[in-house]
Amino acid sequence: MEPREEIFVLGLILSIIVLVISVMISVWARRFTRSLGDYYVAGRSIGALNNGLAMVSLALSLTTFIGLTALIIEGLYIAVSVYAGFTAAFIGMLLLAAPYLRRHKSFTTMAFISERYGSETLRYISVIVMMIVSVLYLAGNLKGIGIVFYFLLGVPEIWGIIVGGLVVTLYVTLGGMYGVTYNQTFQTIVLLFCLMFPVAIVMRTLGASGWAFPPLGYGDMVPLMTDTVPHYFWAMVAHPVTYIAIFLGSFFGIIGLPHFVMRYFTVRDAKEARWSTVVCVFLVGLVNTTVYATGFAAVYYMQTSGVDIPTAAYDYVVFILVEALAGDSWLALAVAGSVAAGLSTVSGLLMIMGAGLIHDLYGSIKPDVDDETKLRLSYGAMFLVGVGVIIFSLDPPEFILEAIMWAFGIAAAGLGVPVVLGIWWKRTNKYGVGAGMVVGTTLSFVSWIMIGYMGMDPVDIPFPFFAKYFYGPLGWIKVISVAVPVSFILTVVVSWLTPPPEEALQRQVDEMHGWTDYDPKRYNGKGLPITIIVLSVFILWFITTLYDEFPK
Amino acid sequence: MKDSQRGYKIEVWVTAICFLIVAVTGGFFSSIVVILNEVFFNVVQTPEQLVSAYGETMFVFKEHLSVWGFPLHYFLLIVLSWFGATIIGAIWCIVMDRLEEQQKT
Repeated sequence: MEPREEIFVLGLILSIIVLVISVMISVWARRFTRSLGDYYVAGRSIGALNNGLAMVSLALSLTTFIGLTALIIEGLYIAVSVYAGFTAAFIGMLLLAAPYLRRHKSFTTMAFISERYGSETLRYISVIVMMIVSVLYLAGNLKGIGIVFYFLLGVPEIWGIIVGGLVVTLYVTLGGMYGVTYNQTFQTIVLLFCLMFPVAIVMRTLGASGWAFPPLGYGDMVPLMTDTVPHYFWAMVAHPVTYIAIFLGSFFGIIGLPHFVMRYFTVRDAKEARWSTVVCVFLVGLVNTTVYATGFAAVYYMQTSGVDIPTAAYDYVVFILVEALAGDSWLALAVAGSVAAGLSTVSGLLMIMGAGLIHDLYGSIKPDVDDETKLRLSYGAMFLVGVGVIIFSLDPPEFILEAIMWAFGIAAAGLGVPVVLGIWWKRTNKYGVGAGMVVGTTLSFVSWIMIGYMGMDPVDIPFPFFAKYFYGPLGWIKVISVAVPVSFILTVVVSWLTPPPEEALQRQVDEMHGWTDYDPKRYNGKGLPITIIVLSVFILWFITTLYDEFPK
Repeated sequence: MKDSQRGYKIEVWVTAICFLIVAVTGGFFSSIVVILNEVFFNVVQTPEQLVSAYGETMFVFKEHLSVWGFPLHYFLLIVLSWFGATIIGAIWCIVMDRLEEQQKT
């Protein structure tokens, strides 16, 4: 796909304004940072609305803005299903983790796992898993910023990656979590305006009667769409377990993604943590349904106007659509919104990576280091992590959303399972968690190496036994429906077969649920572990059934 | 029954029920659509250009099963995963807010 022939001045100006305001917010927020707690978790002072808005910008990365539209064109219904699962997953995180994590008083997911299970080894393992997940997630988003700059200026994507990466690194390093939080709030507001309005104009131009509310405003265009693309709404292209994999990846992946979880450590109390998630899911749903409308509009436009957008340009299709159907001023808004979307997610990821390396890793190896030294080291570590990720992202995956989906899968099996069981089942111990984390992460990470990195066909990967069944569109996603159940089964069974954790560790579970007294029977029954084992075995069995029923 | 035991049971059961509902909207719903395909779709001849990808026959949604012009399964997917999930979350938050008040007293 060729970029614009001339520099898009209006888009460039708006993008620079977004970048400059982001840095200014961090400089302003720097005054609030006086301690390590301020730097990493904003002094635990953030309210529900502010945190909810900040979480929205984390969720709505560039993968949503441009990657999802591309995936809808490629995968139609299944792509929408992925993001529907992702939207509902916030409520899964609310029910299973959000307020309980806030009461635990950790700084990060890695600290939670280490302290809940009383193991430094688990801290190191979880830092490794966090780095894998974060780098995958970051690479996809920096690639997205590169795409925006390429379209905007016609310069190679590499410059977008470097400039965008340096700006984020600068404002994260300067402002810490206060800067990140206020920036993310600002970026959410920018993103909402810059997505909703251009898409509404596009829908009006295409003739949608409900263009003023794009999420549900294109129903009258459906008959013409199904005349030209009869399979648009067809859910039959994939084995049903594909959707279960999407559920597992979304619901436990989001709990396992440390940059989402870290937001809960910044709020004032458990109540604020709860309501911030409700604010978040409503706005994430609003934006995601608007993006479904954008994907629909893109396919509709290509089919009805005869314009052929090459596959290589699917990642640019939002801009192509807005430019063709809404005009340059709306395109400038869309470009600025994209820049905001990319910056917000990258900043959250850099924050958790810096915290993981200094607070969790260095702080554990050298426990005598005082907070002031850690704070100074954090500035340096954050900067080095940012530069390191920029270098890694110079050769990122081609299709940005797939990298994110892999990150979700690895996070679900490696971190989501121990977090959920650590909150809801007292009997979970470090041996079970160690087994589940290591095997679950290895299964999903090695699969990514073979399928996502080396480009092997999913049905040909040498292991596991289930590989034969990874056929069909996004067939590799079924790896998640192996890795997560295996992680659950191992964690539960090994915990059961080994000595229970000591009372001080079990007491944390009652405290996380808000009880001031300790009752060994609470959260310690057999119902939950048995249900988990039965459901996990059922999902593993289900993958191998109905083999002849669906397209290969 | 002691108040704390009652509170514990309310927390666990309300959370389990809410999770079950939101799990259906967040993934299992589409699996159900696929398994119950004959309820939602008609089998038709696949257009020639798509035969290589989808085989001789394919499924299109039943036109009478639509809401505001959208196929029923698609409409339910996007509305349940958005409004549905938000409402479930809000209800759960209200219950937990009350439970937290009881825990404090």
